[in-house]
Amino acid sequence: MESDNSLESSVSSLARVNRDTNTPAYNQSHNNYHHHHHHHHRHHQNDLNDFDMDHDDSELNLRERFGQEPFQHDEDFYNTNSMNRLPPEILLQVFSNISQKSQLLPLLTVCKKWANLVVELLWFRPSLMDSTSIKGITKVMTTDDTFWDYKSYIRRLNLSFVVDKVNDDFLNLFSGCSNLERLTLVNCSKLSHNPIVKILQGCSKLQSVDMTGVKDINDAIFNALSENCPRLQGLYAPQCQNITNEAFLNIINSCTMLKRVKVSDCSNITDDGIIKLTENCKLLIEVDVHNCMNITDFSLQKLFTDLEQLREFRISHNPNVSDAIFKYTPEDMILDRLRILDFTGCIRITDKSVERIVQCAPRLRNVILSKCLSITDASLRALATLGKNLHYIHLGHCSNITDFGVTTLVRNCHRLQYIDLACCAQLTNTSLLELAYLPRLRRIGLVKCANINDSGIIGLIQRRSYDDTLERVHLSYCTNLTLFPIYQLLLACPRLTHLSLTGISVFLRDDILRFCRSPPSDFNEHQKQLFCVFSGQGVKDLRKYLSSMYSETNEIGLPLRGRERIINDELNIQAERFFRGGIVNAPAFQQLLPQQQQQLRLQLLQTQQIQQQVQPLQGPIDLNQINAPNRIQVDNDDDEVMGESD
Amino acid sequence: MSSQLIKITTSDEETFKVERSIVERSVLLKHLLSDLEYDETDEDAEPIPLPNVRASVFKKVLEWAEHHKNTNFPDDEDEDARKSAPIDEWDREFLKVVDQEMLYEIILAANYLNIRPLLDAGCKTVAEMIRGKSAEEIRRTFNIVNDFSPEEEAAIKRENEWAEDR
Repeated sequence: MESDNSLESSVSSLARVNRDTNTPAYNQSHNNYHHHHHHHHRHHQNDLNDFDMDHDDSELNLRERFGQEPFQHDEDFYNTNSMNRLPPEILLQVFSNISQKSQLLPLLTVCKKWANLVVELLWFRPSLMDSTSIKGITKVMTTDDTFWDYKSYIRRLNLSFVVDKVNDDFLNLFSGCSNLERLTLVNCSKLSHNPIVKILQGCSKLQSVDMTGVKDINDAIFNALSENCPRLQGLYAPQCQNITNEAFLNIINSCTMLKRVKVSDCSNITDDGIIKLTENCKLLIEVDVHNCMNITDFSLQKLFTDLEQLREFRISHNPNVSDAIFKYTPEDMILDRLRILDFTGCIRITDKSVERIVQCAPRLRNVILSKCLSITDASLRALATLGKNLHYIHLGHCSNITDFGVTTLVRNCHRLQYIDLACCAQLTNTSLLELAYLPRLRRIGLVKCANINDSGIIGLIQRRSYDDTLERVHLSYCTNLTLFPIYQLLLACPRLTHLSLTGISVFLRDDILRFCRSPPSDFNEHQKQLFCVFSGQGVKDLRKYLSSMYSETNEIGLPLRGRERIINDELNIQAERFFRGGIVNAPAFQQLLPQQQQQLRLQLLQTQQIQQQVQPLQGPIDLNQINAPNRIQVDNDDDEVMGESD
Repeated sequence: MSSQLIKITTSDEETFKVERSIVERSVLLKHLLSDLEYDETDEDAEPIPLPNVRASVFKKVLEWAEHHKNTNFPDDEDEDARKSAPIDEWDREFLKVVDQEMLYEIILAANYLNIRPLLDAGCKTVAEMIRGKSAEEIRRTFNIVNDFSPEEEAAIKRENEWAEDR
């Protein structure tokens, strides 16, 4: 897949230099056998991936370096006991196993041969993380007479960890880094276009620029990219509403190696631009034209037909997009690579398109159809054929869909990790209980699904495993929910980091809202009053608070909603967990009264013995089927047995 | 036929007879065998010359290949898996007992013969020996002469101190 290409190219060009100098150990063989090596060095993980580099990219730089510091063997080279008999490309491989910059630092002053290699590793991606490193790097950037020309070693510049410090002056420090390959300016909102245009001058090796969150994206930047960066592969320029069609055409005429293009919210981009894009940039794998209102079926039809290798496509809120996209595409069109498809708010998309696209793109992983208001269960049946490939589905506001559709989808797509069904008002607990059997589910969105109630939540918890994968649960405006099931949910989901309960009256009380995070600043008074979202520490604190509250309630024997029921639910859940994880120390268990704990232990012991006689368990247990004495009656809202396991 | 062996002559004119499966751990030799359409059943087949590897080193390489006869190494192209994998315990011992000169010879041979897993193990071993040492300790351990002037050294330290641990 991707590789940290510039180092790769450093190695290969070093190898070339090395051969030129005719090293004793190698001087006989190279003419005899063609010896080909793949040197990949990849150790900077956080940058954008998927950019292939040309192998010759770094050669110039290395030539310059060896020109300034003529490459010749020192006496060490002839000392068989010295590590310096190893050629530079192998030394570089050794050093690339040392990933921490602080551990590379001593290597820099060992000798010149090492220094020339290490300095490149050190400055490849200067770590602009804290004020001390920023200060140090700033000083070097502003000093004229440094030991090395450090600017020439900077290949990746990522300012998104220090956005507070990033203003025009700061970015200007880095102008002249002409070997830059990746420039990441995510959320650098204080920047004007000027320093961006300036830094791009002479950056003929630039492969990717990410300006997500930059406010002043304009034609000057696009034109600078067109003029300087013929190797550009990644262009991330969301919210580029000021870009003209002309500047967009310039860039796609000059940068024909583009693979990923994100130009959202720009109504100047028209079919003309999209057609040119598909004609000129045959390597495209990702196209994001969110909110570009003037693109129509006409160009998209061409895009889907021509770009067989397309991996991600996003468009949204576009009233021109309709089923006609697929009306004139070839019958046998295959989009085998397509993984992500987003048609948010394209209200003219219907089941017909979904059925067709699923047919062409059987390996879709993420499908976003929120606010595609015409979608019905027929689309869900089509999506169900994606089977294990589907991991992410957003169907918010698709209010035609019902429990039948969700059931079909969930039973076929058991690797779903993310599901959003917000405002699908017809859905009931049945859908929720189906979700319980998704072993990898990490996020559930059921905002404004008002039919969801307490027994749905309890049923969900009962059916899931002890080590639950759920991380984010959105239940805002599910107005029938009460405290106890939410408490149970918190106990059952140790990885929960987000829980939203906005607009549900029972949670809007001071003792609970203490743990709520603060509402967004643009909310009005009314919205602020209803806001009830817990995240991170807030989730932990809420769990702790409810635990203490319920344990008190139990001890003084004041049932909140029928003490028997509470205990039954509690024991039931604990028993089920024991089966799955063999865990007796679950926090909830500790909350039980001593005699309850004893009773549960007994029961677990007995059921465990039974379990050993039967086959190993794969799904949730129906306690009703276990013939144990003192069995606790399970509240049987739903008798469904498990869905498929992985 | 499995009993047939491939003849290889090292730089110091020693000839080894080796099983094909062992030889093919070397991508260089593997390609060479197929390019030459080498036929080990032919008694008169010329030995393959290895002008860059001495017999003592080639012996070690063969010892390594013999041990890893049935090992499935991660894909060469899977950079992450290769980088993050710890050094194989046997390899660690194998490379620890040799002296530095032999360690470098093995690495050079692995590079020349294109035996990726052995080269990786060698580079990682050396990296482990370097890690945590000061510049002076490194020079002493690995017999390297300091060719920087004190002024140059000071300038380099000053300009790169941002990379220090904090």
